[in-house]
Amino acid sequence: MSRNAEAALLAGAAVLAALGISIVRVAGGESPDAQTALTFLVVALAFGSLHLAFRQWAANASPYLLPLTALLTAVGLVEIFRLDPSAAGLQRWWLLIAAGLGVATLAVLGSSGTDLLVRYRYLFLTAAVVSFMLPLLPSAWALGGVEVNGSRLWLQLRLFDTTLVRFQPGEIGKLFLVIFLASYLASRHAALTSMTRKLGKLSMPEPRQLFPLAIAWAVSLVILVYQRDLGASLLLLAVFAAMLYAATGRAIYPLAGGGLFLAGAVVAGTAFDHVQRRYDAWLRPWDDFADTGYQIGQSLFALGSGSLTGSGLGLGRPDFIPSATTDFLFAAVAEETGLAGSLAVVAAYALLVAVGFGIALRARDPYRKLLAAGLTAAIAIQTILIIGGVIRLLPLTGITLPFMSYGGSALVANMVAVVVLARISHEVAS
Amino acid sequence: MNTPIRRLAFILLAVLGLIILDLTYLQVIAGPRYRDDLRNPRVAADRSSTERGPIVTREGIVLAESTPDEDSAQTFTRSYPEGALYAHAVGYTTLLFGSAGLERSYAQDLSSDSDLTISGVIDALLGREQGAEGIRLTFSHPVQETARQALAGQTGAVVAIEPSTGEVLALYSSPSYDPSVLLGESAAGGDGLAVDPLTPLRDRTIDQILAPGSVFKVITAAAALEGGLANPDTLYDDPLELALPGSTAVIRNADRGTCGDGTRVDLATAFRRSCNTVFGQIGIDTGAETIAAVAEAFGFNDEIPFDLPVLASSFPGESLAGDPAATAQSAIGQRDVQATPLQMALVAAVVANDGVLMRPYVVSERFDRDLNILAQSDPLELRRAISPGTAAALSDMMQDVVESGTGRAAQIADAVVGGKTGTAEIPGSDPHAWFVGFAQVEDRTVAVAVVVENGGDAGDEATGGAVAAPIARAVMEAWLRS
Repeated sequence: MSRNAEAALLAGAAVLAALGISIVRVAGGESPDAQTALTFLVVALAFGSLHLAFRQWAANASPYLLPLTALLTAVGLVEIFRLDPSAAGLQRWWLLIAAGLGVATLAVLGSSGTDLLVRYRYLFLTAAVVSFMLPLLPSAWALGGVEVNGSRLWLQLRLFDTTLVRFQPGEIGKLFLVIFLASYLASRHAALTSMTRKLGKLSMPEPRQLFPLAIAWAVSLVILVYQRDLGASLLLLAVFAAMLYAATGRAIYPLAGGGLFLAGAVVAGTAFDHVQRRYDAWLRPWDDFADTGYQIGQSLFALGSGSLTGSGLGLGRPDFIPSATTDFLFAAVAEETGLAGSLAVVAAYALLVAVGFGIALRARDPYRKLLAAGLTAAIAIQTILIIGGVIRLLPLTGITLPFMSYGGSALVANMVAVVVLARISHEVAS
Repeated sequence: MNTPIRRLAFILLAVLGLIILDLTYLQVIAGPRYRDDLRNPRVAADRSSTERGPIVTREGIVLAESTPDEDSAQTFTRSYPEGALYAHAVGYTTLLFGSAGLERSYAQDLSSDSDLTISGVIDALLGREQGAEGIRLTFSHPVQETARQALAGQTGAVVAIEPSTGEVLALYSSPSYDPSVLLGESAAGGDGLAVDPLTPLRDRTIDQILAPGSVFKVITAAAALEGGLANPDTLYDDPLELALPGSTAVIRNADRGTCGDGTRVDLATAFRRSCNTVFGQIGIDTGAETIAAVAEAFGFNDEIPFDLPVLASSFPGESLAGDPAATAQSAIGQRDVQATPLQMALVAAVVANDGVLMRPYVVSERFDRDLNILAQSDPLELRRAISPGTAAALSDMMQDVVESGTGRAAQIADAVVGGKTGTAEIPGSDPHAWFVGFAQVEDRTVAVAVVVENGGDAGDEATGGAVAAPIARAVMEAWLRS
């Protein structure tokens, strides 16, 4: 497949978005209007410029990455528009910003390669830690943290009592952490793999080798305790454990990480009411349907009502689902497009994940392998956590669905991740 | 490090595969269960926007109808033209508050979405008329309207029944509400109704059980007569108070005096004057199990078969057996006895129908769009509750109550009227005023039950004779004159 085929597929995604917006309008008893053209132009502009940047700075990159991203973004944009047209308008701006940052990232990496990131790895660690801590800034400050639904993950910029912009710095922090871990683990994986110290019958690496890892683990606990968010904390720890496993091949890291997190989650469940309610909603949604079980119940009703082929875009009632544009966007898509649509979305994620791990496997040096594997694992785990929550396979963790959910921070972070993946695949193929 | 990366990829893709399996299960296999779950608001949304058949009174007055929306050919808006007057029985189909009343129990018949069934497709192919069926009710508009006016803002309920058929002529529960505030997607008024301390959403005719007080003496008397323990002339002691065996409690009459002259008094006189002392003794003599058996023949301790769900009235015969003190108090309708107004109206109806209990019903027929009758409800005899002799004796005693006893306020010129008053003592509150009775002019008969909770406007002065009997008179007269 060539860059030309990629361009054709991207045009297809823009057409899909435009068709979707038109169908939503017609289903609502109106005629297609400027929204159709606007959405087509924004998707075409965003992915068109990314495509041109690929031709310029990542000409040999995998041609599958961008079309899959565009497909998911387009479907998300249409469903957000169907639920809340004004949110879709904002999301279009975020898409342009994400694409712009993607192009800029590619331009920087294009001149110096992904090795550049290795040089500044402790800067990335610092940036990651700062990003995660930013929401703890006092709410009263112009740039301060905000608590939303019991979790303190948001940073907002306020001037003269009006909120200008809200952002989840943790989304970008997650990206920085993956970049740091990739270069750190690549340089130390030999030391981490050799179990030289004996602790009773257990062998373990030299303690000083583990110090930076302890920082990363501490960050995820801080998120759990001070920001009280199960999802962000779980995502971070899972990505962390996945990368440690990829670097060392030792299952003890993910197992220990999982054990530590489980312990933390149980403690959080008893300590924080809103975490306990999430467990109740997951395990016993019908016991207290009117209260704790309401969200997940509405999600399951939406899935069941969607059935095989869905109600049709704009013809279902996803407006009954709480937080449909963010946490439950997948349920809204599944209701209106049915199993056909929901499986297509999951399949697109699976393809993206497969392509990402393919890049990791073909990379010739540990750093690029780990960076590609880490970025891919982050997208995969985030997708699994939120879709799993929406379909009650896992407790609901309230994180966004990559590329699809309404929200700027996640879109920017994931777009940059895809661009970095693309650049790695270019360097691997060149 | 390719091996761990490959394993990692395999695990994550396997979990995505698991998600695909679970999605297939949720959307296709378990899908219909979730789709049709009553808590799924889409069910109500469908019902509240599709065409549904009309509900009309016996005279044809429209109580519920669907009109097509102006902006869409497919959706309809349900409206309830008589508003609060029939709110409880007719019920509602709403988006946000579910459904209730006949709108709920007859949802299947009223809805038009039968077009995907095999018979629906065949009907369509044969060009048969499709669409929503309507239902006609046995309600009489003047009777229902009179019930509303007579209760006049007091908390309580009125039930009127045609005794020989079981047709329900009126079911009015006060306070009522306007169902239109529950309709639509924003339905602002609904939450207020749900938390209103006066519980306007509750159908007090069938969904609330109260102590019946002295109206229960009809059943106690029936039990004594049925068992052959007494006839209307049987003489009883007439004490100032009835000492309850094994207890320090006593039973007194409402006026704290004796029933008659303080020597001996007959059953009919005790019934006419509603003497607690005598009926407490009759309860002890008759025994809880015998009273329970007769109460159950009238419908107590079981769900009454009806077009709407009825709360079971209770007379706990087994737990009262061997406790004469509690039996005496229960025999005068206090303590452990609780009844719905519908149940008490059926008691009066049985007396007026020579002892036979008819199945009460409110839906008389189903009709199609062209008003062709599709099905009719026929009167159904549930069982003989009491012998014709007992019924005749009770009827005479009840007529005495209205002619010269506690129920004189229920007299209707040129009509045969019988009844029984009740003033149920409620600890810490004003008494409930009850009246059950019947009235007949030529071939027109009606049985009623009226309850005004906590004395209504009369407060602690309230008695069944003063508060409930005039309401019953107005309601019965409305049917006799209609």
